[in-house]
Amino acid sequence: MKRVLALAWLAVVLAAGVHLALRLHHGLPLRTDLASLLPRDENDPALRRANEAVTRSLSRRVFVLVGHKDRDTARQAAVAITQSLQSSKAIDILPNASRERFQEFGAAFFAYRRGLLSNADRQRLLEGRPETIAARAQAQIFGFISLADSALLRADPFLLMPAFLASLPLPTSRVVVDDGLLTVVDDDSVWILVVGRLNGEPMELDLQDRLDATLSAAIGTQRNKAPGLEVLRLGAVFFAHAGAQVSLEETATLGLASTVGTVVLILVVFRALTPLMLSVLAIGIGVGAGLSATLLMFGELHVASLLFGVSLIGVAADYTLYYSAEVFAADAGPPQVRLARIMPGITMGLITTVVGYAMLLLAPFPGLKQVAVFSVVGLVACYLTVVLWLPLLDRSRPAAHGARMLALAMMLWRFWDAPRWRSVRRISFAILIALGILGAMRLTVEDDIRRMQAVSPRLVSEQMRFQQLVGLTAGAQFFVVKGADHEAALRQEEELLDRLSVLRKEGALVAYRAPASFVPSAQRQHANRALLRERLETPLLASHLAALGLPESELRLADDRTLTIPDATSIPVLSDFIGDLVLPDMNNGAVHIVLLEGVRNVDMVRAAVADIDGVRLVDPASDFSSLLARYRHRALVLTGVSAVVVVGLVMARFGLIGGLRVMLPSLMALVLAPLLKAIWGSPFTFFDAMALVLVLSISVDYAIFCAESTFEHRPVTLLAVWLTMVSTLLSFGLLALSDTMAVHAFGMTMLLGVALAFVLAPLAAPAQRPATGHDNGGGEA
Amino acid sequence: MRWLSYVVAALVLVLGGDGPAPAQSPGMAAGDVMRGRFVQERHLKGFNQPLKSEGAFVLVAGRGLIWRVERPFEVTTVITAAGLVQEVNGSETTRLSATRVPGLARLYDMLGGALTGDWRALESQFLVQRRNDTGSWHVVLAPRADASTATLPLKSIVVRGRQFVDDVRLEKPDGDTDVIVFANQVLSRGPLSPAEAGLLAHAAK
Repeated sequence: MKRVLALAWLAVVLAAGVHLALRLHHGLPLRTDLASLLPRDENDPALRRANEAVTRSLSRRVFVLVGHKDRDTARQAAVAITQSLQSSKAIDILPNASRERFQEFGAAFFAYRRGLLSNADRQRLLEGRPETIAARAQAQIFGFISLADSALLRADPFLLMPAFLASLPLPTSRVVVDDGLLTVVDDDSVWILVVGRLNGEPMELDLQDRLDATLSAAIGTQRNKAPGLEVLRLGAVFFAHAGAQVSLEETATLGLASTVGTVVLILVVFRALTPLMLSVLAIGIGVGAGLSATLLMFGELHVASLLFGVSLIGVAADYTLYYSAEVFAADAGPPQVRLARIMPGITMGLITTVVGYAMLLLAPFPGLKQVAVFSVVGLVACYLTVVLWLPLLDRSRPAAHGARMLALAMMLWRFWDAPRWRSVRRISFAILIALGILGAMRLTVEDDIRRMQAVSPRLVSEQMRFQQLVGLTAGAQFFVVKGADHEAALRQEEELLDRLSVLRKEGALVAYRAPASFVPSAQRQHANRALLRERLETPLLASHLAALGLPESELRLADDRTLTIPDATSIPVLSDFIGDLVLPDMNNGAVHIVLLEGVRNVDMVRAAVADIDGVRLVDPASDFSSLLARYRHRALVLTGVSAVVVVGLVMARFGLIGGLRVMLPSLMALVLAPLLKAIWGSPFTFFDAMALVLVLSISVDYAIFCAESTFEHRPVTLLAVWLTMVSTLLSFGLLALSDTMAVHAFGMTMLLGVALAFVLAPLAAPAQRPATGHDNGGGEA
Repeated sequence: MRWLSYVVAALVLVLGGDGPAPAQSPGMAAGDVMRGRFVQERHLKGFNQPLKSEGAFVLVAGRGLIWRVERPFEVTTVITAAGLVQEVNGSETTRLSATRVPGLARLYDMLGGALTGDWRALESQFLVQRRNDTGSWHVVLAPRADASTATLPLKSIVVRGRQFVDDVRLEKPDGDTDVIVFANQVLSRGPLSPAEAGLLAHAAK
């Protein structure tokens, strides 16, 4: 029978393996975008596409700012750095706003000029001040050195076109074109801006390395030539590179420490490697089965779900350790007997853990659902592997070298048991409670993802200077504008732009760029032509021409042509400016993007446009932060719910009082871990909440094992619990050493929670004494 | 807008009275003020007659230039290190910040050099041909083919003068020509009138 079940399980494992192999053949369908973590009902496909398009195009932007006191030095260095970058093929350098390009730009608009007015000129005509426009034109013509030549004056006698072109949001407001290079001048330096687009995704490690190596070398060469040269970098790729370096170093050191520590632990304790092999086998099957099931159910997997799912399955490593530790029992017996002894404990542990994890399914968040499916299936697979396969695979015999370890492990139980420690126990509890209260007073929460990532301080300061000089930021906020067609979207944008121009004057943001900045709606162009005709030409054209001495027959006015979005995107030089702001055809209407630069006050921007239909502000960083806040909240609530459910299950087995006793260590660990962590000002995050999910299941396992243990078996039980705790700390607790706040938070909460759960675990056992034992009050509370 | 700075540089250079003859003493020092009158004629293709304007200018070394058209109507252009401001009848019609037109800011570097006989800045952009006759001189500035000015809508600048500049002629490629004739230049260290100081201060804001 045992063999039949083992073979049946093998068939299931093989089937899952084949399914995985087929799915992974085309690459693991991992999602990395944040939108897919949102609850489905909030997951608007247009918004999602807009989000992906903008995020992709923004994340591939690369800016380098080269500055020196001397203009020519700065320019030469910038050109040399540009050339190295170009030849590395890591990025494409965007064409500069050369004079030719600017002329092309003007030429593209020229035929449509009668419908194009700068906002200021439109305002002048609306307010009935056409003479100011005529006066400006005459001042430019008669004043000091005029650019307006005869060809321009005959086509545009009021010089409205130069005013329109000057009002366009070209790159950013503070950057100017100086001899073909984008230039910013500050108090004592000239800065040249190099703009590039990454030839790939910012997360590609080899691309990061190539860009970094090329840029560092080029900067080094130029610095040697020109001391005092400053170079500032801006772009997701630089942050990704710095982050990847930190996490690679950490993965190397923490991963090595964890692996070496676990191997040493098992070698020292068991003097054999079999337990390690069995753990690896069980976990491997668990991860594979979890992955297969998640892909089967969801068709895809988010990378965050994968990471947390794998972590949660880590609990299953404990099952093999519980099993393996049985070799130290005085009456160890053959593998099947050893398994039988831990069966009640691991079965109860599995049920409570699975129920706990399954609670995550109740969340409407796809991310948590995937974590739940992944970890529940994975855990059950681990459990089945341990139960069905381990006794068949295990050849280890009862070990005789455990006496001293067993005695050491028992010291903890004695501490909770022996009458002479009673006062010490009371003082310890008092101290724990006092620390908990202190922590509760200092408890804060944190959801800002920007503070949870490992970010190089140097890059942050470069980014800040960049922002001061140019007004560019790494992650930009943007609006998504949805309309029935392009015209509708353009009209909505015009309403939006009117409000944004007020906000810019108030300093809430530095600049913005919308399709409607370049292509006014047909409605607006029509109105502009009417204004031009009725309010400017009818009253003033004749006298203006007379003042200039330009015969009307020489005029070359344009016809009434309307510039549309399809027109504009088909003109290359205009497409460069608005191509990335107009999403490719959507079935149901047009989707436009309005990019914002240098937003200082998101709330002001959000509030000012709240009532415009079809316009939605997207602020990737703060949207992600609020998403994290909701996930944190949800994870915490579900931990509470699953704790309540687990209490019920435990009471069903151990009775009312016994159940409470079993839950006591868990509940204390759950409450105290975040509070103790808060004592030194460490805030509570989503990652702490996820650690608590794990702490709950691990601590309940510890307690159940202690509660299930017979008095004679207590040393072996406690040794097994100690082993699982140390291995858990080696795999998760070490993460507390990470410099990345998210990882550190997860690790620290695990460290505190698991350590507390272990120390308090003996409290779960009933005051059980051998017939000849002395009376001592049992589990203290 | 860049070419404007070169034209201004060339103009102010010659207005400053420091002709290209190396023997001449350096022209204006900080605080020197040159005043004079001008007549500008713009010959534009297709126009009935040249657009003619006349007025007065004040060049203040180290501070800026006031170019005041009096006829056919009043237009005042003030250029300082901060940028260019144009006013019609006292109300501002155009303001170009030097941060938007870096050439304007750099103009003063070029001026500083040129006024003390250093032509390098201009020579990097223009082919400079000079001819000295008895009592007068003649300079032709042509954009260099390889310089950034090569793309300017400007064929050449011809400057003629004696002690000070007499006239400047700007030839544009499509046949338009601007001619500026100067008269009554006076170099002094005299203080600025409150109105002049006010214009410069306003433009420098």
